Formats: sequence, structure tokens, C-alpha cells
Amino acid sequence: MTRVGIIGIGHGTFGRRSDATVQELAFEAFREAMGDAGIDRTAIDASVIGAVPEYHKQRSLAGVVQEYLGLNPKPTWLTEVACASGSAATRTAWMSIKCGLHDVVAVIGCQKMTEMSTAEILALMGRVGEVQWESGFGTTFPGYYAMFAQRHMHEFGTTRKQLLEVAVKNHYYGARNPYALFRKEITMEKAQGSEEVATPLQVYDCCANADGAACVILASEDKAKEISEKTVWLDGMACATASMSVLRRPSLTGLPSAEKAATDAYEMAGVTADDIKVADVHDCFTVAEIMAYEDLGFCPKGKGGPFVSEGKAHIGGKVAVNVDGGLKSKGHPIGATGVSMTYEIAKQLRGEAGERQVPDADVGLTHNVGGIGQYCFVQVLKRD
Amino acid sequence: MDLGLEGKNAIVTGGSMGIGSAIALRLAEEGCSVAINYRRHDTEAKQVVRDVEALGRRGLAVKADVSSYDDAQNMVQTVVNEFGSLDIMVCNAGINWDGVIWKMSEEQWDTVINVNLKGYFNYNKAAALVFKDQKSGKIVNISSINGLRGKFAQVNYSASKGGEIAMSKSLAKELGKFNVNVNVVAPGMVMTEMAESIPPEFLTKAMDETALGRFASAEECADLVAFLCSDRARHITGEVVKIDGGQYM
Amino acid sequence: MFEWFGKVNFTPYTKVSDFARHLKDGHLMGSRCKDCGATSFPPRADCDACASGEFEFNEVSGKATLNTFTKIVAAPTGFEDVVPYIVGVVDLEEGGRALAWFGESLKEEDIEIGMELQIVPQIFDEVEEIKVYYSLEQPGTTWSKVDPNWQ
Repeated sequence: MTRVGIIGIGHGTFGRRSDATVQELAFEAFREAMGDAGIDRTAIDASVIGAVPEYHKQRSLAGVVQEYLGLNPKPTWLTEVACASGSAATRTAWMSIKCGLHDVVAVIGCQKMTEMSTAEILALMGRVGEVQWESGFGTTFPGYYAMFAQRHMHEFGTTRKQLLEVAVKNHYYGARNPYALFRKEITMEKAQGSEEVATPLQVYDCCANADGAACVILASEDKAKEISEKTVWLDGMACATASMSVLRRPSLTGLPSAEKAATDAYEMAGVTADDIKVADVHDCFTVAEIMAYEDLGFCPKGKGGPFVSEGKAHIGGKVAVNVDGGLKSKGHPIGATGVSMTYEIAKQLRGEAGERQVPDADVGLTHNVGGIGQYCFVQVLKRD
Repeated sequence: MDLGLEGKNAIVTGGSMGIGSAIALRLAEEGCSVAINYRRHDTEAKQVVRDVEALGRRGLAVKADVSSYDDAQNMVQTVVNEFGSLDIMVCNAGINWDGVIWKMSEEQWDTVINVNLKGYFNYNKAAALVFKDQKSGKIVNISSINGLRGKFAQVNYSASKGGEIAMSKSLAKELGKFNVNVNVVAPGMVMTEMAESIPPEFLTKAMDETALGRFASAEECADLVAFLCSDRARHITGEVVKIDGGQYM
Repeated sequence: MFEWFGKVNFTPYTKVSDFARHLKDGHLMGSRCKDCGATSFPPRADCDACASGEFEFNEVSGKATLNTFTKIVAAPTGFEDVVPYIVGVVDLEEGGRALAWFGESLKEEDIEIGMELQIVPQIFDEVEEIKVYYSLEQPGTTWSKVDPNWQ
């Protein structure tokens, strides 16, 4: 079967985008991606939209985005798996090319989160976990990751400071990313002084809601060679699930879905964890990034804290992780995040990342988690 | 009918005489240990305790003024300590002090309200604390048909008896989810010592009001109370059961 | 009846809704598959070991060990009046897990991962409707209790 490659990438500015509708945000990224690939709409066979519908007033988002992008009558549909919706869209596009149904597919991850009132958002926030047995007690998204953090600290001695090192690192790099929501470095002291959200997590442990879009254009091997000279190949494409409910996970110090997806992606791409030079992982909370180092095999189980505090996740370390700022600094427009990760890794593998370039980046990885780990999508990207 | 009251522990306020003592003895016959309060009638109270014990049950007489909040809380605590638990609270202690309103003193009003209405609050609250934690209990408050209708020269008494009914219904709503039943028994004229001091022409007038041409005995009232305290009545709550021979309909 | 369960309830209809009635009566129920015998807490109508839909309720003791916890300071809609509150995830002695609030019998400073706890059915007492939940308490705490030393 054909290899699938990324021939065009585009990204919009993440932030509080009260200047635009979700379809207008999508167009920003789409325009940039088409320009980057050097193609126009006639070259595109289909699109897949990754977004989480419940945050929007517009129902059935894929339709309105497709229309606005000027892609009617080409096929489109929505993929939704919470915060991994962007990666699910990429996977679906990849599948359609792999089987020969389409040759060139545009993947658009887009999201507006600021159309809702605070009360509406707070109501949604309480329904993140398993609604039947958990939401009646007022669990929240940070609450779940806080419980993972408590357990991780208890079992492995991970410290609060190590958790916040993730935030300091990601803000450092995000300050150098023009698309990020937060473009200022932060100090450890500032992070340590922030308000509690769910113990032990504080405000600086948590990513922020944002609006935004990103786009990648995928192509079959033949088409890619025809159109692009800087194709980045999607050689590892895996997805795994774990229980929605924390009540049915064997261990609460890692995400079983991430571990499984990583194993499968490495095998498919014919690489190991040691081959990965640059990665974008799902740092919805600082502890999530620490668990990701372990789940992805960048370091042994339990050693995620020292991994970051010893500089191993920085450029020049063992694996450069989230050097676009991660969710922490970019913000997290949920449908867009997965595609934003793919954008960044493709940019790195092409050598186009400027002052944030990871030297000799030839193999990269994206790790995109949905919700509290009920879905995880891991991609391995390669540059020939 | 087996009421299933064997081994239950009960308090009956105003249990030294009249309807109260009849209720105490009836509950004891059904298998309850019974505690009563007295304010002045210690001799009568001790007799009731002896009668209860003669039936093979534990009896206890506690000096307590029902209009005193602290006395009520203390009495309930004492009974729980002595008997080990509390299952039944019957509020029965009551007085009347009649008079047309233009001749009714402030003291006349306050005393009847404090003994009758506040007295029920004092004991109902103390019992509610126990029953809510225990997740079971029965409360029966003795009111009167004069709480359902107006009665000449009884603004104070009728107010207290009507208040007991409304209070019991509110309480039934609060305690229902804890498996506690709260009901009211509303007698008409009952032949007790209190009734013996009523002039004969009033008694005749009252009897003519009844469909059955008779008055209740204290024992008949006690039968009804015992039923309401039993598990046989477990689906009855917030109810007012008249026992008046059809005196007021 | 399942709408009785939780301070806020989003799932009023479920095949296991009698769970809430049992909880109101002081019983904590898991489920057992009638075909293969697999047990589950929380209860589930459809077996994930075989594929049977025949289940029965199966009372559990409520004895459990603390796996992890957090104190939630930023509350979702419906919980603003009780924040902050501490939720814990516990491993039940018979297997399965529960997520619940810590109750009155424990202070925040006593909470430690690995501690023994008792899951106790509770009734929300200051609302008119019937609302039930369960809480994490000191071992030995019972549902129905009379404390002879109350004031």
C-alpha cells in the first residue's frame, strides 16, 4: 500500500479570537497550507474536519467549514474524540488515501471555545469524565489529572517543582512561537505562586481554552512526489483507547491508551523511542507531559520528573518535547490541537523551525490525547 | 393484628394521666419500653411506670417541663442512654385555658402556646435528630378537632392545636426520606379527668354533635396511636386522623 | 429513580437505576452477571466479560482503600455552593472502584493514599427532593447510627 505524506501545512493564531467565526479561522490555516503546498482547491479530493461540536452555536460544523473553504461538492465529515479530534481527522484522511479512495485530502482542525458563556463552559467542564458515576460528585478535567498527579507523586516521588518545570519550559518556547496564545516566558516563582485549581495542580499547571485552527494537506506517495519537494511522511499512525472512567483503569499514573498507541506506532514506522528527536505531546496539564515521557518510552516509568528537570526534554536534551510551546503556551482549541502538533513536527523535520529548530530532526512524534485518556493517537513522522 | 412493636422504645409526653397514660400503657402492652415526663404529678407518673413494669417492660419517669427546650433535649438524651435507642415519640402533653379574646391575658395566650405548640417543637426536634441519624422512627402528635375548626373561647388552644397540625405536615416532608413517619391524631371529646371538670350542658351539646352519640375513651385513642406507631402504618405520613365519633366533619 | 443519585444528575434513566433505591435504604450494590458470574462495582447491566444482559445486584461491604484524591477548588456548574470539596478514588475490598466525596468523619490532614476507608450511603438532608450519594468515612462508620453522646 502507498505511503502517505504531508505536502502542505498551515496554522492560524491561537487565542481569544472574537474577530472571527470558526469557519473564518479554518480558512486562515487552509489558505496557508495551500500556499505552502503550492496547490489550489482543484487538487484536493476531500477534506476531514476535526472539531468538538458542543462548544459551537453552529450545528454540524463540517458542512459550514466545507462551504466556506469553497470545497463543495467534495466529500467531508467531522471526527470527534474530544481533545484528539484533530488527530482523528488526520487518521481518517490517512486511511482514505491508504486504501486508494482519495489522493489528496485536506485535514482541518478548528475550534472556537469562546462562543459559550462561563456558566456553559463550567457545566461542560463537569461532564468530562464518566457522567453516570463520577460527575454527580463534581469532578472536573483538572480534578482528574490532579488525581493522577497525586498518585504519581506518591508512587515515584515526583515533586511539585518538577511538574512546574514543564510549564516553565513550554512557556519559554511558546514565547518564540508567533501562533501561540501566551507569548511570554514565566518564572518558577510566578508558577509556584498561582492559585489552586485542584490539589496539587495550580493555574500554571493547566492549559487554557482558546480559539484557533490548523491545517495539514495529506497526499499519496505518487501525488506527493509530483507536488512537493519537502514531503514529511506519516509512517506511524496508531490509535488506542482506555476506559472513560478512572474506575476501570488498572493504574492511575500513566495513560494505558498512550502506551499502547506508542507501541503500535513505533512498530508500524519501524522505529523505537530512542529514534525520536522531536515530539509534541499532549500537555493539557503539566503532569500529562510527565506521564507522556514515560508512556512514550522516552524515560523509564516514574522518571518523568527528573527527565524534565535535568533538561532532557529541552532542545539539546534527549528528545525535544513541545518546543512550539505545547498546549500550555499555545492554548488548547480542542479540535485544532492535534493538527497543530502535526504542523509543528512537519516544520521541524523540514528544518523550517527557525530559532526553535531541533538539530538533525529526522524522526518526530505527535501524541494527542482525548479527554482524560480514553483515546490516544500517536503519529511517527519521518523525513527521508 | 400483630403491630410488630416488640422491643421498641417510646416516649409519651404528658404520660402521667389521661390520654397520655392510656397511650403509655397501650404501647407497653404491645411490647414497648416507655418513658414519660411529668411536671407536677410525680405520684401519678410513678404509678404509670409501675404499671408499665408490671407488663414486663422497662418504664421511666423523667421530670421535665415540656415548654422548656433544654428539658426536652435532655430528656430525650436520657432516654436514649437508658433504653439504648428511641423508636417512637408521642407528643400529647397539653393544656387549655379558655376565655374570649377580649378577656384573654397575654399570660393565657403565651402559656397555652408554649406548653402545647412549643412543647411539641421541643420534643419533635429532639426526636428528629435521633431518627434522622438512625434512618427510622415514628412521631405521633396529639392535636384536636379544635385544631381543624374554630372553637369559641379557644383562640389560644385552637391556635396551638392547628399549629401542631401544620408543623407535623412540614416535619413529615423533612423526615420522609429518612424512613420517619409523622402523623397527627385529632380527638374530639374524650372522657378523661380533664373532661370531668366540664359543665354537663357543654358535654350534652358535644355529644349531640357526634354521629355515634358517644365520646371516645382514652383507650380508644391509644389504640389509634399504637397503630400509627407501628410498621403496619408505614405508608401513612403527614396525615391527620380524627377520632371524634363523627363530631366534626 | 437514578435521578436521585449525585448532587447533580445527568443520567436519570439506566438499566441499573434500582442502585439508587438500594442506596437510599442504606445498601451499596454492585452487580453480578447471571451467566458468567463476573462482578462489577459500580454495577453494570451488560457484562463486559461475556456479553450477557442478565444481571443481579450484589451487596458490597463498602470497605475500601484510598488510591488517589484531590481537593477541587474550581467547581463546575451546580457545585459552587459546596466548593472546595475533596474527592477520592478508592479500591473496594471485593474489587471495583468508587469515586466519592470525603465525609464528615475525616479531616483533610488525615487523608493519605493507602488509608482504609468505609464507603457509607448518604442522603442529602437539606433539599426537599430525595437525593442520595455515598461518602468516604472512617472504617467502622455505619449508615444508621445513634450517637448517645450527641448534644
